Amino acid sequence: MAQRPQKKLFTRRKSCRFCGEKELTINYKDVKTLRSFVSERGKIIPRRIVGTCATHQRQLCEAIKQARQIAFLPYSGSTQG
Amino acid sequence: MRRYETIFILRPNAGEDEINKVVESTTQIILNEDGTILEMNKWGMKKLAYLIKKESLGYYVYCDYAGTPAAVAEIERKFRIDDNVLKYLTIKTADSITEEGIEKALAAISAKETAKLDSEETDSTYSDNDDIDDDDENSIEEAE
Repeated sequence: MAQRPQKKLFTRRKSCRFCGEKELTINYKDVKTLRSFVSERGKIIPRRIVGTCATHQRQLCEAIKQARQIAFLPYSGSTQG
Repeated sequence: MRRYETIFILRPNAGEDEINKVVESTTQIILNEDGTILEMNKWGMKKLAYLIKKESLGYYVYCDYAGTPAAVAEIERKFRIDDNVLKYLTIKTADSITEEGIEKALAAISAKETAKLDSEETDSTYSDNDDIDDDDENSIEEAE
């Protein structure tokens, strides 16, 4: 009985932003875009939550890691710090 | 010939001369190895996402070039020696680039720059009116 409302809560439209918007490219220098795929703590948000497709999540993962290397994004900690 | 892009971060207290010296030496290394510089851009002072060698600010320089792996090795060796370089990152953007490709890339970059200049000019003419709107947008973004 208790499960029903929960199910409704979790139904959410998920779509890959990079497939939808063709002009949006994944690049490690584009920090603004990458920020939206990283949690407040600086972790990469999993695919099951952001809904990007496998191909783009792989590219995104790579780009975020490159951005971290050159201090565009933090390895950990808040994105403001 | 391969196409690479290198970003390096210099110490924030490095003087104009020191910055130019590092930039010139990298340029020289690329040219010595028969490479071509496609774009050399000083991004200037930026806040770092984390401390590097106890510095929270860094002077970013971006360089896009066609060169040989030997040139990259030499540049990175120089960076490791130089105290002013906090960090560097080299990424290979194309496995091979021909003379035609270099010319095309140069044309694309110059076209991009002129477009940027044009937009900046138009921005500055409208900036008086847009100032208030821009501020509003920024405050909303920060709130989010």
